[in-house]
Amino acid sequence: MTEEEKQESAFSRFGRSFKELLYGMAGHDMTRYALKTRGSMEHLFILITMGDLLGVPILPPYYSLRLLPYVVPQISTWKRRMLRERDLTDALA
Amino acid sequence: MLAQNFRANPNRRYIEFGGKGGLGKTTFSAATAYWLAQQGYKVLVFSVDPQASLSDIFERDIFGKGPVEIIPNLFAQEIDADQRIKAYQDEIRYKILDMYGMDTVPEEIEHYIQAAAAEPAMEESAIFDAVVDIVVGGDYDYYIYDLVPLGHALYYLSMASIYNEWIEKITKLREEMQEYAQVAAILERKKQTEEDQILAELQYIRQRISTSSGILTDRERTAFFFVVTPEDMIIRDTVKAAALFAKYQVPICGYIVNRVIPPELAQQNIPEYLRNRIAMQERYLKQIDATFGKDVLACVPEFERDITGIEMIAKVAQALYGGEA
Repeated sequence: MTEEEKQESAFSRFGRSFKELLYGMAGHDMTRYALKTRGSMEHLFILITMGDLLGVPILPPYYSLRLLPYVVPQISTWKRRMLRERDLTDALA
Repeated sequence: MLAQNFRANPNRRYIEFGGKGGLGKTTFSAATAYWLAQQGYKVLVFSVDPQASLSDIFERDIFGKGPVEIIPNLFAQEIDADQRIKAYQDEIRYKILDMYGMDTVPEEIEHYIQAAAAEPAMEESAIFDAVVDIVVGGDYDYYIYDLVPLGHALYYLSMASIYNEWIEKITKLREEMQEYAQVAAILERKKQTEEDQILAELQYIRQRISTSSGILTDRERTAFFFVVTPEDMIIRDTVKAAALFAKYQVPICGYIVNRVIPPELAQQNIPEYLRNRIAMQERYLKQIDATFGKDVLACVPEFERDITGIEMIAKVAQALYGGEA
């Protein structure tokens, strides 16, 4: 490796670390917030479309069945979330 | 009159007969299909009635067998809702297994699939969906929809508008969710999130619903005829129903009077009973004339026997459309 290349890689390493630092300071929380909001909405959405799993029929079943394959992975976590006890740590997450 | 109505509006390719149960909707649907097929049009007459009246009138079991050619150019189809629901459930199961590489559908999900099919609304929407398939297919020159009794027909149309609004709402929610996901993706410098399949699915459902209800309420392409008989109660109900239909923008093209006892019988020596019936009908025919006036497009006599088989259907077609083909 030549001196030049070493220097460049040190530069780009520094640049990358700086970017990540900046993201950590400014962006990470926002990202987490955005994803968390989307997660809540996801559950709200499943409640609306698949509500009859909890005994709340809303969308006509013929069409809610069409959506079922996409929400299979979420169904177990969603039911857990719907039926979970709430406590103080929810506000901090 | 009725034949003229068809000729004057060549773009109306969806023909519907409505009215109370037992007035002759199926008979007129079959006769109209016969008349159009005789002129060389490719016609599909279809029904969603679980009582399978088309099978009866054509004297062939066509229930759940898809479109069946009765005579050249005339196809008839009766939708079997149960069969359709079963096939649909299997499709959903297969999709789940395929998407997640599973061997069996998880118990909870299976339970849901079965429970959903047991709901009363399931049959209605399965039928609705089957009708969408038929009308968007475009394989025929004419589609004749033998509607189930009034209440059901209204239910379909109202269902379409409710579905439409509802799906619009959840589609909005879904779009908003996508925005949040994209914000996160941009902040984390990931590539664009993959297209939201649920959103695509919702848009597909919505498009199907609005297409079908759009066709059934499109004045340019659809003709809706009400069947009435010269009886007090039927006339009253029809007036009410027509007002309701107008509210749902159903394009009512006119009225057809059925079951008229041939008045020339009165010249013959007939029992008092029949004479009274004729007099009563005359009164109500006047009332029909006063109520619907020039919208009455045809008067069909009471025939001497049941309308079953092609020969009798041809007779009804003659009464409806006259000798002109």
